[in-house]
Amino acid sequence: MIEYALLAMGTSIMVFGALGILRFPDVYTRLHASTKCDTGGALSILIATALIIPAPPMIKVKILVLTFLIVMINPMISHAIARGAHRSGVEPKVVVDMYARDNP
Amino acid sequence: MPFYLKERIEDIKARHIVRRYYGKKLPRAEKIAMTWMAIMAFWLIVSGTLSWQNLAVGGSISLIISSFMYENLTDDLRYEGSFIKKVLTLAFIQIPQYAFIMIFQLLESNFRVAKHALFLGINPGIVRLETDLRSATGTTLLANSITLTPGTLTLDVAKKLDKTYLYVHWIDVKTLNMKKAGDEIKGDVERWLGKIFW
Repeated sequence: MIEYALLAMGTSIMVFGALGILRFPDVYTRLHASTKCDTGGALSILIATALIIPAPPMIKVKILVLTFLIVMINPMISHAIARGAHRSGVEPKVVVDMYARDNP
Repeated sequence: MPFYLKERIEDIKARHIVRRYYGKKLPRAEKIAMTWMAIMAFWLIVSGTLSWQNLAVGGSISLIISSFMYENLTDDLRYEGSFIKKVLTLAFIQIPQYAFIMIFQLLESNFRVAKHALFLGINPGIVRLETDLRSATGTTLLANSITLTPGTLTLDVAKKLDKTYLYVHWIDVKTLNMKKAGDEIKGDVERWLGKIFW
């Protein structure tokens, strides 16, 4: 029962992430939506998969290792994209920008 | 003592403590043993069997790897007295506690993003924080945790004059004061990471 609740939660989180990517104004706020919602949705969907499939426990542990790798790698990629965008001159729509002030 | 001297002296004391502990890293054998344990656990999960050939091949190859790559993984760990106690607390208390708390933070940040996507009440800004962590691994994990906690995204890490600064894109700016923003954004994550890493 809990695995179907996790699946429903993961898919709804993914849908809200896509909605955020469509509605937010600039690159950085869109990265917020994509990073967090992808990580959370993939996490809950993979945990549900590990609970559902009829397999020996070693396979389930492998799926948990996959979730660990996703959770560790996803924020690093968003960090790289945000830094690269700021360095190549994509203007953020913000009220205060201390990064541009410190690195002119 | 005048107050401006007091701040300066506290700063110098903190720097002295850091210098003293940087000279006190883990011994080489403990580094090799810890790297061997990590590689061996990963090998056991990936290979998936427990026969003696598997154990022998994995143990010998991970010993060869850990004998020359021990610096990469364990260079930034804090030194404590007993090695066995350190490994046990790391494997059974600190890492599960960190994972448990980060899962709930991730859930809260997903709900926050859903709320912002529906109602669009955002007020974004890029602020600067100061951290007490100095090592590369600790700073990386702190930046990743800040990205996964609600409403924040790390842009860059800068090191100036023995201190580490983080530039954080904050979707709902409340304050520009460095200390207050640090308390608001980092929360308890920095304290937990400070128990493990420099």
